[in-house]
Amino acid sequence: MQSRTSTSPAPVLTVTPARGLVDDPICIKAGFMPPNHPVTLCAQMRSENGDLWEAFGHYNTSADGTVNLARDHSVGGSYLGCEPMGLFWALQPGPGERDGLRLRKKNVKIPLIVDISLLEGHVTPRERENSELAVATTERWYMAPGVQRIDIRQNGVVGTLFLPPGPGRFPAVLDLWGMGGGLVEYRSSLAASRGFASFSIAYMEHKDLTVQLDIDSSDKAINILREHPQICGDRIGIIGLCYGVYLTLRTATLSDVNVRRTVVYSIPYLKVWKLLLELAKSNMYMNIENLACPLLYILGEDDQNFPSTENANLIEDILKTAGKSHLYTCLSYPGAGHLIEPPYTPHSRMSVWRIKPEKMLALWGGHTAPHAAAQEDAWKEILKFLDKNLRAKLIS
Amino acid sequence: MWRQQRSVHLSVRPSRGLVDEKVAILVQSAPPGARITLCAFHRCEDRHGWEAFAHYLTDAAGSLNVSRDPSLGGTYSGVEQMGLFWSIRPVPGSHPGLRLRKKNVQTPMEFTISVYQDHFTDFTDQVPLASQTVERWYMAPGVLRTPIKDHELTATLFLPTGPGPFPAILDLWGGGGQLVEYRAALLASHGFATLALDYMTPKITVETGKMVDNTYFERAFTFLQQHPGVLAERVAMLGLSFGVCVTLKMAAYSHVVKPRCAVCISGSHVQPVDGTMADILSYFDRNGHKIQLNDENQAILRNLLLPIPTDPAFKVDVGRVQCPLLVVAGEDDQNWPAAESAQDMKEMMERAGNAHLLTVLSYPNAGHLLEPPYSPHTRASSFRSVGSREKITALWGGHCAAHSLAQEDAWKKTLDFLRHHLYS
Repeated sequence: MQSRTSTSPAPVLTVTPARGLVDDPICIKAGFMPPNHPVTLCAQMRSENGDLWEAFGHYNTSADGTVNLARDHSVGGSYLGCEPMGLFWALQPGPGERDGLRLRKKNVKIPLIVDISLLEGHVTPRERENSELAVATTERWYMAPGVQRIDIRQNGVVGTLFLPPGPGRFPAVLDLWGMGGGLVEYRSSLAASRGFASFSIAYMEHKDLTVQLDIDSSDKAINILREHPQICGDRIGIIGLCYGVYLTLRTATLSDVNVRRTVVYSIPYLKVWKLLLELAKSNMYMNIENLACPLLYILGEDDQNFPSTENANLIEDILKTAGKSHLYTCLSYPGAGHLIEPPYTPHSRMSVWRIKPEKMLALWGGHTAPHAAAQEDAWKEILKFLDKNLRAKLIS
Repeated sequence: MWRQQRSVHLSVRPSRGLVDEKVAILVQSAPPGARITLCAFHRCEDRHGWEAFAHYLTDAAGSLNVSRDPSLGGTYSGVEQMGLFWSIRPVPGSHPGLRLRKKNVQTPMEFTISVYQDHFTDFTDQVPLASQTVERWYMAPGVLRTPIKDHELTATLFLPTGPGPFPAILDLWGGGGQLVEYRAALLASHGFATLALDYMTPKITVETGKMVDNTYFERAFTFLQQHPGVLAERVAMLGLSFGVCVTLKMAAYSHVVKPRCAVCISGSHVQPVDGTMADILSYFDRNGHKIQLNDENQAILRNLLLPIPTDPAFKVDVGRVQCPLLVVAGEDDQNWPAAESAQDMKEMMERAGNAHLLTVLSYPNAGHLLEPPYSPHTRASSFRSVGSREKITALWGGHCAAHSLAQEDAWKKTLDFLRHHLYS
């Protein structure tokens, strides 16, 4: 604690909610400052790997000596304009940190801690120590209280099931990621926090997997969901990103798998798509025209991984020919890249794909501000789509 | 039964909040015009169950919004956004005389909010349609809790996060003693360095058998002023019940304790002037014959100090107070004559010419225990004051809905008062 000879108290900085879910918007306000005074709002956070992420915005206090991020415009820094959540989505690794970083929460049971500081003048986070006026600590959670996390190792499926609080029965989503490997839980835990039982599975690079890239893993996972006593077997959807899109469409179009609803985002990474085309030629041919459920297709127009718009158009044409246009909705976001994550997640235009045998960076694309807007809108639309199709009364 | 065909959705947001923050409760995807019951359940640290419930009808879209729709009955009625929190009471069959008080402020209170099909009042063996868990915290993230080990004080300091410096508050509870931290933790979460002080049962009294004298409070106040994170000239006092006796005595007479402002909740200025703590307690003892018992054997202590004396030797001369004073009183306070005392203080200050410093908040049908908002109302509970050896059931007074409204309004005005005088 620094000793001060000042006779005035420090300005008051409030961040509400102080303990929110990562998709909850936050209200950041500061008061008891001189009017028309330059200040900086700065966010700093250490990831689980110890990397420092930071963002900042330059503001001028209003005539009543306050700053309100829902009302005021940033005139410089990591973002510009009126951006209530800019301090979160514009987070970037601090200077000197490792390159090619991407923020991905591994342990969803504990929150990310983000310190929001109010600094004197228009400065950068480097000057935080000498110019700090006030700090508010905020916790960003991927799991709501009462959500249960359950390890699943069944029929060769390696996954984590998240159940919302309460007796059930719940509508459910199967949550499928890309070729990054491992078991990615954070979108699933968030979906469960919004009332959907959610099941993430791993298909490669996990110690408990006996078969890598098992093409039937998503079908088996759907059956596990169907048999779970707290899940409505006839209210199951799938969310897929990247390679997960392939699995989603495959599962949704096979005649013996009755999936209620699907959402897919983005589209596969180039190298994998080629691999999939190889598989498709062999025995994995996918009949998009067999799609029997609503499909929400989300893409970023600056996706540097794949010509996404063409792929979406192809699917749309096939469905139109099959008389199934009514099942298809496409959300296309200008300026957004490949990694459309939960809202307010920092944007990674590129990140490390692998280190061995040689270091490889993947270019995902997207420009920070439009990518952030896309993430926020897409998540809202996904939840609406899931609500509409998995919760409403069954249409017989 | 429509439960099998539907997936009723219950949302309670935010799912983690401070105890004085409101939550929005929504039910969706139920049939239109359906009878449903909302229930809140909490198991406290002492393992007692507390619950509240309300009966509703969903609207034409099969939705319910607790901020908009009226409860038709239950532990509260009408449109009450936070009714499920403030109307909780011990579950049927509980030990009598319970009061809900959080001891460990570093963990949250967990509430389970559930929605049931149909209207009923007994939840045994009922399966809800949906449930959510909500955490209610007294401490914001980053607030630092420090037990004070030296200075011969039994106290805990709560510091807001950040470089400071901060204005500060000396926080005093009443005759029950113990070191009660929750209000201090909450005040720190609002930007005030706050010291929760045990002055009835501190270590020094337990060891020596002697009650503390005025120097104890002077030491506590000075400790706050000298803390590197605190602005020395912006230290306030906030007292409830017996804590008001201390606050007014210090504000009026102490040469060392000069609060920037003071908040006095559910207390009185009546006490032998120049008395020690022990003197004040024996003054109450001498009037012990005035204690009444109602039909339920609950003790009404308010008459100990009534009628308000005219002899100036028995009331703090509030005409000497030089700082802004906020006095909060429940008009149904059965424990202290808070409203009558507030009125008398107002008259004294008008005669002395310092009434411009006084603000009185007087609440009809509110009782003695004016706690942070959405705390359940306790009309009576088991109580052992430090002065007496026996345990009684004290009647605190107040009627649930009016008392809860008073808590909410008083807290908001108290925070505004503190911000205005400590921050501006």
